[in-house]
Amino acid sequence: MSSIEQKEHILVCVSASPTNAKIIKTAAKMIHSEDTVFTALYVETPDNSKMSEKDKNRLQENTKLAQKLGAAVEIAYGENIAFQIAEFARLSGVTKVVVGRDAVYPRKVHFKASLVDSLIQNAPNLDIYIIPNVENSISEKEKWFHSKLELSFRDIGISLIILLAVTGLGLLFQTFGFTEANIITVYILGALLISVLTNSRGISLVISILSVILFNFLFTEPRYTLQAYEQGYPVTFVVMFAATFITGTLAMKLKDSARQSARAAYRIKILFDANQEFSKVHGTTEIVNVMAKQLLRLFDRDVIFYMAEGKTLLQPTLYKVEDGSTQQIEPSPREREVAQWTCENNKHAGATTVNYPDAAYLYYAVRMNEKVYGVVGLAMEHQSLEAFESSIFLSILGECALALENEKNAREKEEAALVAQKEQFRANMLRSVSHDLRTPLTSISGNAGILLSSEQNLRPEKKRELYQYIYDDSMWLIKLVENLLSITKIEDGNMGMRMNPELVDEIAAEALTHIDRHSEEHRIQNHIRDELIIVSVDARLIVQVFINLIDNAIKYTQKGSVIELRAKAADHWVTIEVADDGQGISDEEKERVFEMFYTQGTKLSDGRRSLGLGLALCRFIIEAHGGTMTLTDNVPHGSVFSFTLPIEEVKMNE
Amino acid sequence: MNKFLILVIEDDYAIRNLITTTLETQNYKFRTSENGTEGIMAAASYQPDVILLDLGLPDMDGVDVIRKIRLWSNVPIIVISARSEDSDKIEALDNGADDYLTKPFSVDELLARLRVTKRRLLSMSSETGNQGAVFENGALKIDYLAGTVFVETEELHLTPIEYKLLCLLAHNVGKVLTHNYIIKEIWGNSMESDLASLRVFMATLRKKLDKRSDGIQYIQTHIGIGYRMVRV
Repeated sequence: MSSIEQKEHILVCVSASPTNAKIIKTAAKMIHSEDTVFTALYVETPDNSKMSEKDKNRLQENTKLAQKLGAAVEIAYGENIAFQIAEFARLSGVTKVVVGRDAVYPRKVHFKASLVDSLIQNAPNLDIYIIPNVENSISEKEKWFHSKLELSFRDIGISLIILLAVTGLGLLFQTFGFTEANIITVYILGALLISVLTNSRGISLVISILSVILFNFLFTEPRYTLQAYEQGYPVTFVVMFAATFITGTLAMKLKDSARQSARAAYRIKILFDANQEFSKVHGTTEIVNVMAKQLLRLFDRDVIFYMAEGKTLLQPTLYKVEDGSTQQIEPSPREREVAQWTCENNKHAGATTVNYPDAAYLYYAVRMNEKVYGVVGLAMEHQSLEAFESSIFLSILGECALALENEKNAREKEEAALVAQKEQFRANMLRSVSHDLRTPLTSISGNAGILLSSEQNLRPEKKRELYQYIYDDSMWLIKLVENLLSITKIEDGNMGMRMNPELVDEIAAEALTHIDRHSEEHRIQNHIRDELIIVSVDARLIVQVFINLIDNAIKYTQKGSVIELRAKAADHWVTIEVADDGQGISDEEKERVFEMFYTQGTKLSDGRRSLGLGLALCRFIIEAHGGTMTLTDNVPHGSVFSFTLPIEEVKMNE
Repeated sequence: MNKFLILVIEDDYAIRNLITTTLETQNYKFRTSENGTEGIMAAASYQPDVILLDLGLPDMDGVDVIRKIRLWSNVPIIVISARSEDSDKIEALDNGADDYLTKPFSVDELLARLRVTKRRLLSMSSETGNQGAVFENGALKIDYLAGTVFVETEELHLTPIEYKLLCLLAHNVGKVLTHNYIIKEIWGNSMESDLASLRVFMATLRKKLDKRSDGIQYIQTHIGIGYRMVRV
């Protein structure tokens, strides 16, 4: 509420009361400028399911009226209406609340404050407009009656049996000559038992009255009449009534609070479980699956999920209760419309709500702040969710949205890191490449220049040497360009890489044809020849990896060294090794060799220049294929460069 | 040898000069053209034995040059591609080119390709009489009528698909056949999954051949492109 020029936001409370229409109209009249935000709020309580048909219709009429008058309809859940209104007002920046005077909290008898009073208590800063009401609310009275005296047959049965048992025990006590106090205690015990065993509200009142009447009828002189001779009896009756009633009510309350804390514990457990499940899985689909499984388990209803892409919904997935199956389905246009509405308006809709109540599913948006990740639907079959159920439902959706948000953030972070890494790579590369190009170009142009200007003065051996320099340096440039091309291929991402099933031995054989002439001084043993391993790779790039690794091995080992190529397939991955028996690489250098343009300085066996790009590129290529590249020591000496590639499963088409 | 005429269609002076100098050293006869239109005209008027065609020409796409020439001539065409993208070469091969060279290529490579083509042309002209019934290439012999394959005197036992593959390569000996072309010829349609099968069949076929042929490789693998049977 910090802004000075705060927009006016009027909130009107919708109820099933027949006078509610008047309140809504009055609230609508309070709108003075176009900027005013007008919201109609309905608080759904646990008693909602007990609402009569008449009340339900009236509630819908009132909601429609509010919508017609320009109000956005919102629904909150909770037992404490005043608290929900106050919370909503606080969160949405409501400036004025309009309520009716008759909108009194139903449980008046429990010494609860009226709605207005508790609203003032909950939100002291709010402007509250109370619309006086002359007609007395029938609805409230009906409701009160219904909610208080709704007795199930089961509860009546239990009550009667206990009452009978207690009376029998009383009669027994009397024949033994026990005092009446004992009998009264037995009745109080009976009321206590009834309260514990039954669920109907108000039953303790009835039981208390019945107990007093029975006691009067059976145990006080004159017996079998409703009269009492002794002077003290009226007091006894009142005290007995009070004791029985208070005991019963307290027991009931105790049971209620026990149930509530059990529910709270249950809820915490479920959320904890869900949280655990969510944290275990990765990937949007997995997270949604976990959510759907949780909802299936908890509500035993079909769950449908529409993934959102921007504001449009993709094809939904249906999770069926009966067989636990999961399938992509084509929803009816109506259902899709409702889901789409839910997604766009960020409100729940569908069955059992005021928006599109004819839909088969109840739709909620899975969202974090304003971002909608998808819409989840719960098959309702005309039974609305209890407040407790819907609060669990919402909490799970919240957990799911949080998991999706985390997932998204992690993904974005990863992507950003990748972009940064690529940028870094590119920058390093450009700097080093342009630097490294100078040397061979100087050599080529210089040597060619000498040959052009003073060919006659050179001895044939000298001339040949200069030709050789030109040739070697241009070959070096060709290799550099090949490597650079490979990099641009990967940098283009999936577009650049052409993944095809390839035979590992063919790739190795191809690479060996590109190894330069100096390899004649090394013994290359290719053990990959007879393996029939198919990998899904961009063949050119993997050939490049082989070439770089083998060239490297040739460069950094003495003449006559053995270079071995090996491949081992295991568990969807093939590990390919290029091993040499040279001097090996020290541990502190092992990590650094993969760095861009790191070269082993002067240790080159024949003084030739190396491509500092080579190993960094190899690792880059292998990682772009999802594999890893490692460097280990060979036994007894030398190095082993190994990398992994995913094996492609082949379905043979005969 | 004297009659062997090569047409070089290449717009870049340096490369053209490199190629012609190489050809001169080997006493090949040649003609040059600097663009596609000229090249097609030259192909029609000189009736060359081999065409070396650069894919990146100033006036038209090299693939179109191949298409036009293929309307009336089966002359072997070796394409030279500066682009290292395989798709260019595959397109050229699928449109009738026989072989390819990637820039930068070495002089040895160029001469090797020409030798292969020449050998193929020679064997084609000598084979015109008994073509069809039996195919012979070095120690490899395919009897089409009996459906049997021999290396030296030993019969190779091939699966039906391997036999079909071998026949397809033999019919196009010396020519690089693209994966797609082979898959279409063997399986009738081209599906992604077939590529892996093709690799496996080719590998087993090649192994059966290599085992008995004493270091001679009849089938070449062109990574990312296709396969070729070499005239030995």
